[in-house]
Amino acid sequence: MAGYILKRLISAIPVLLGISIIVFVIMALIPGDPATAILGSYATPENVERLNRDLGLDKGMVQRYFIWLGNMLTGDFGRSFALNRPVIDEVLERFNATLVLAGTSFILCSLVGVAAGVVSASRQYGLADKAITFVVLLGISIPSFFLGMMMILIFAVNLRMFPVSGMWPIYGDRDLAALISHLTLPALALAVVATGVIARLARSAMLEVLRQDFIRTARAKGVHERSVIWRHALRAAMVSIIPVLGIQAGFVLSGAVYIEIVFQWPGVGRMLVDAILKRDILLVQGGVVFVAACYVMFNIAVDVAQTLLDPRIRS
Amino acid sequence: MRAFFALLARNRLALVGLIVMGCVMILALITPILPLADPDVTDTSQRFQRPFTEGALLGTDHLGRDLLSRLLWGTRLSLAVGIAAAVIAATLGAAIGIVAGFYGGRTDNVIMRGVDMLMAFPYILLALAIVAALGPGLMNALIAVAAVNIPFFARNIRGVTVGIANKEFVDAARLSGMGDLRIILTEILPNVIPVIVIAMSTTVGWMILETAGLSFLGLGSQPPKADLGSMLGEARSALITNPHTSVVPGVMILIIVMAVNLLGDGVREALDPRLRSGALTRPMAATLVRRKGPVPEASDDALLALRGLETQFHVKSRIYRAVGGVDLQVRPGECLGLIGESGSGKSVTALSIMGLVASPPGVITGGAVHYKGRDLIGARYEDLRRLRGNEIAYIFQDPLATLHPLYSVGDQLAEAITCHHNVSKAEARARAVNLLKSVRIPNAEDRANSYPHELSGGMRQRVGIAMALANDPEVIIADEPTTALDVTVQAQILSLLDDLRRERGLAIVFITHDFGVVAQLCDRVAVMYAGRIVEEGPTDAILNAPAHPYAARLMACVPELGEGRRELAAIPGLPPAVNDLPDGCAFAPRCDKAQPACRTGEIALARSSDVRRVRCIDPEPIPEEAAG
Amino acid sequence: MNVLKMTRRALLATTAAAGLALGAAPALAQTPPGVLIVGQIAEPKSLDPHTVTAVNDFRILMNMYDGLVRYAPGTLEVAPSLAESWEISEDGTEYTFNLREGVTFHDGSSLDAEAVVFNFERMLNEDHPYYETGPFPLAFFFSSVQTVEALDELTVKFTLNEPYAPFLSNLAYPTGLIVSPAAVMEHGADFGRNPSGTGAFTFGEWRSNEAVVVEGNPDYWDGAPALDAVVFRPITDANTRTAEMLAGGIDLMVEVPPVALSEFQGDSYTVHEQAGPHVWFLILNAKEGPFADVRVRQAANYAINKEAIVNDVLEGTAEVAAGPTPPAFAWAYNPDLEPYPYDPERARELIAEAGAEGAELTFFVTEGGSGMLDPVAMGTAIQADLAAVGFDVTIETYEWNTFLGEVNPGLEGKADMAEMAWMTNDPDTLPFLALRTAAWPDQGGFNSGYYSNPEVDALLEQARVATTQDERAELYKQMQVIVQEDAPWVFVANWKQNAVTSANVENFSLEPSFFLLLDDVVKN
Repeated sequence: MAGYILKRLISAIPVLLGISIIVFVIMALIPGDPATAILGSYATPENVERLNRDLGLDKGMVQRYFIWLGNMLTGDFGRSFALNRPVIDEVLERFNATLVLAGTSFILCSLVGVAAGVVSASRQYGLADKAITFVVLLGISIPSFFLGMMMILIFAVNLRMFPVSGMWPIYGDRDLAALISHLTLPALALAVVATGVIARLARSAMLEVLRQDFIRTARAKGVHERSVIWRHALRAAMVSIIPVLGIQAGFVLSGAVYIEIVFQWPGVGRMLVDAILKRDILLVQGGVVFVAACYVMFNIAVDVAQTLLDPRIRS
Repeated sequence: MRAFFALLARNRLALVGLIVMGCVMILALITPILPLADPDVTDTSQRFQRPFTEGALLGTDHLGRDLLSRLLWGTRLSLAVGIAAAVIAATLGAAIGIVAGFYGGRTDNVIMRGVDMLMAFPYILLALAIVAALGPGLMNALIAVAAVNIPFFARNIRGVTVGIANKEFVDAARLSGMGDLRIILTEILPNVIPVIVIAMSTTVGWMILETAGLSFLGLGSQPPKADLGSMLGEARSALITNPHTSVVPGVMILIIVMAVNLLGDGVREALDPRLRSGALTRPMAATLVRRKGPVPEASDDALLALRGLETQFHVKSRIYRAVGGVDLQVRPGECLGLIGESGSGKSVTALSIMGLVASPPGVITGGAVHYKGRDLIGARYEDLRRLRGNEIAYIFQDPLATLHPLYSVGDQLAEAITCHHNVSKAEARARAVNLLKSVRIPNAEDRANSYPHELSGGMRQRVGIAMALANDPEVIIADEPTTALDVTVQAQILSLLDDLRRERGLAIVFITHDFGVVAQLCDRVAVMYAGRIVEEGPTDAILNAPAHPYAARLMACVPELGEGRRELAAIPGLPPAVNDLPDGCAFAPRCDKAQPACRTGEIALARSSDVRRVRCIDPEPIPEEAAG
Repeated sequence: MNVLKMTRRALLATTAAAGLALGAAPALAQTPPGVLIVGQIAEPKSLDPHTVTAVNDFRILMNMYDGLVRYAPGTLEVAPSLAESWEISEDGTEYTFNLREGVTFHDGSSLDAEAVVFNFERMLNEDHPYYETGPFPLAFFFSSVQTVEALDELTVKFTLNEPYAPFLSNLAYPTGLIVSPAAVMEHGADFGRNPSGTGAFTFGEWRSNEAVVVEGNPDYWDGAPALDAVVFRPITDANTRTAEMLAGGIDLMVEVPPVALSEFQGDSYTVHEQAGPHVWFLILNAKEGPFADVRVRQAANYAINKEAIVNDVLEGTAEVAAGPTPPAFAWAYNPDLEPYPYDPERARELIAEAGAEGAELTFFVTEGGSGMLDPVAMGTAIQADLAAVGFDVTIETYEWNTFLGEVNPGLEGKADMAEMAWMTNDPDTLPFLALRTAAWPDQGGFNSGYYSNPEVDALLEQARVATTQDERAELYKQMQVIVQEDAPWVFVANWKQNAVTSANVENFSLEPSFFLLLDDVVKN
């Protein structure tokens, strides 16, 4: 197992290197530069040139790439032009916020999605199944940003049940209750689509499994139906659900961008969008490489989890 | 193609999706000729008119433009972009996937690493960066959305291609000297296309959402043109004051994507062979019971007695009469053999006893199963469950499929105990190991930790038997438990069952199509044909002198008894389809003794001697010594 | 079985959490009196006033720092601040400032002439030991400064290489704010997160992406502020900002989107308005294409319904612009100038005269940006108006930084017209940088439409070296008449900055400088 993990980790290195090159090249291709962005209306060619020199952007592309890569390998991600602070500080802080949001959403959509799929499958064609299928269909068809906007309008502005935006209250304790009240709307809005996708998949995976002979065996043993569904069938269905959870984690992470914008969540997605718009090159590069690395690690973890779950792959 | 649409139409929800989508498409197509206001003419004094005002059915937007007109024009754009993006992504992704899957090796490795890279990139940021590099515009948004979805298709299609590339027909094509390109186009592509279409149908909706997302961020269509996403983006600043300008495009996106998804489900169902057969239905906890006639009374003192049991399969409008009124009984310590061709209904009969027939489509429509005098058909689920595995246990064929692949056999055995007895885990575990020992599994303690796939076929079958014995049942129903095994193992298993029967005095219903097995183990035997018992009696008597022509024909196929393995040999003709049973005797069309009387009316299972019964108006003569 | 129990427990937990969230909800939106929550449009880049360029950052900085001079309340006239008085030499090249006595920075160090010298040396002298704490993008505001000397403890002399009339006004700009040298020396490049000035509020804390908190300075030389603290919350999305304001999450909101104004009509809110030195215009490409003909440029000015744009699209948050100089520069503005009326007929005539009927035009529009108001909606309305007089206008939208990258190097070969807006602190800045022949893009200016009139060039050069305000005013007024007639731009709007305060905020008013000054504000 350790060997397998090591192998996967090593194979991730070229992927991450490739990502670093892609993001570097894309940032180099995007017209406009940080100096123009910083100077705004005052971006005369002269001012731009001077500022770019001050920012160390006058060197060749290849040279800049290797300087950046070298620094990054020593843990130095550089300094953000637009925020005037070390990239790694900003990225870690923002990633932390995204992790809270996307993590909650992910857990939420995994639990609710799988549960809905299981209930839906075990009551196939029943009222619960139809209701769930309909809600799920709505869920995967609604643009998350539209949903978020509507949630703010209804639950935050009109009903004042939840705060409109942000992660923490400006005043008052930063306790769990405060976090939950800020987290509820964005986490829900973010979870809806992925919940739908997971529920659909879980339903068909469960239907697939429930037809299997070993389910009949379990029933013939006298195992209670609840246990048949939630223990026997779900466990087997998880084998095909888990890889999808891995993919959905990526979608949740990406989809967080919209939600972070709508709810002003101080997350890494919004940071990267801002950074792209502000041509904050080092922040974009550092942020993307960091996020991609986490995503790659997560995928490895998913594969490992699947291996642990399924003894047939293990041996 | 017509069949495809017919299938599509059969799925009612997909039909709704198709109709909605069709309406939206038609509206989008005829938008230019509809008497609509110019979508781009601004009239700021008429801004933010509410819906249903004079001259503006859906109201106006922040520049006083007619929302209905903009909505329809926007829908046109969104649809075109979403579909185009899906087609581009599918085409390029499929091409990449096929190349990677077909050539394999290094090509595959390099391509898939590239795909991994793109997939590790948060896709919105990738799209954002692409649009930022290319400049804004719907076309560039389209390129970005297509580009970020290529990896998804590539990965999907590659998986399918790898499977196909190793098939014999591809090797054959290669040997016949076909070039790679030709093989890809003529052999691989046709097999991959359904997968591409399925993947596309599930992603079109997603693409429309993604394009809308980019437009929402202001990276899509250029004003004054607007797709639905940019309408939503433009309306956003007025969300609180004039929500209708957001709601109108938002709901339209919802409707379109919902319709696309419904349609996508339909397409998938129509194209995916497994979904098409309706096989993806879940069996309920117990078989459905819809008995029409009176429920037969418990009659004699048999431990388990089937009375007029009828089980049908209801598939769409067709009814398959799998079991058409079966009477059987078994006494303690007795072994009853149930024999017949494949599809004769013997397994369904066995499964009906404990309500294990998959339902839907299975329905028990009549009769009764009396166990110790209580009717099991129609018993409450909880009562049934308490008997299952506890008093009446099953042994199934093919234990690789019938054992749970993800639990160790020890756990599965222990569970059989704990779901009927309140014992500790350790206790259950110890009993499980004992059970494994009792079915003569060596190293039982170690084996308990093994997973089914780690055991040999014979071992697995022993585990299956051990599981049936776990709660010391009164009756064991063994459904072809030895069919999948080789002869020596089969013999061991049979002797094991025989020993157990004698030691524990349990009743066995043994289902098989192998006379040899019946002869070795069974006291009595019942022969089934087309869902009915055609002959029943002591094993020796029937094997030596079958009375029913069908039984006789079966016997005739068997050269001599006691000479190892014997399979039922073919009888000319096919068993009748149980959804279209002939009047009278079901065997008549294949019977060389058939006479007109055979083809009319109900033929009863008549007593032909004290212990034998046969369902034939002209049975073979039974010699005195074979009367039982 | 266990699984099921687990699920039930999980369900209970979820319900409990939801209940908790609901229970906790009413506690939100309660901010204590004396603490003002300001909804900002973005996270500040830095709290070092010399390194920033955004109005958004200025709003915080103006409350933490003072400059040598400042704008007198409600005007754009320069008034004493840290400098109690100053003298200007006859030739206009020497400025001597007498500093206020006994002023200390928040870190305890005292404000003296050396501190002022340090500030300007740091920005302007590449050899200064703390030049590395930059870059200082707006240092060119003071590029005419040759030397800065401390004559004695409280006297500073600036020597310019040529007369430069906007110098004082530039000193009043945030780039001229005075920071504590001791704090710069202590924190180096991180001074921007550990700021220290002399202003009415001292730095409290900066929670990234959440808030910058400043606290009232009881020892402020100009009298302690009424507020205990101000919290600046970055809320980049205008819609969310509006929602926060409505939900009570902020007390003061700047840059209210025009469409949201109607939400704040009730008694619970006060809407503030203040015209400022802002002009929103279209650059017309005078070098090539139809707009090379002055008649077509004038036609565009007639064709666009500016009234409809300011009153409907901008909901009255702006006024129709008459010429290149905004009325907020009261002394330099020519009140005789009448805006081009909305007259599509006249426009058609002019177009016909010029033979430019049905011309195809490319129009650069930005998606947003400093002072750009509602650029997409405005651009769309303009496109529709021009279409009405027969032009075929294609819009290309760009996100702000790309837009600047496209427009600033000149429109030649790319576009016929582009949106633009400027907020300046002196009537010199915009025409000098964007209307002179010597300001064509190839010479480092912002005259992206290649307008050229030697008369205008001469007037602007003279105004710059003129030493009295009256003299300058006369020159600017002449310039405005010529420029309006030449129509190098379509003059569209002068923005009235707006802000909304909740009912418990008192004594708040906006400044024409677009700065946000909170010394006198009270929150109950």
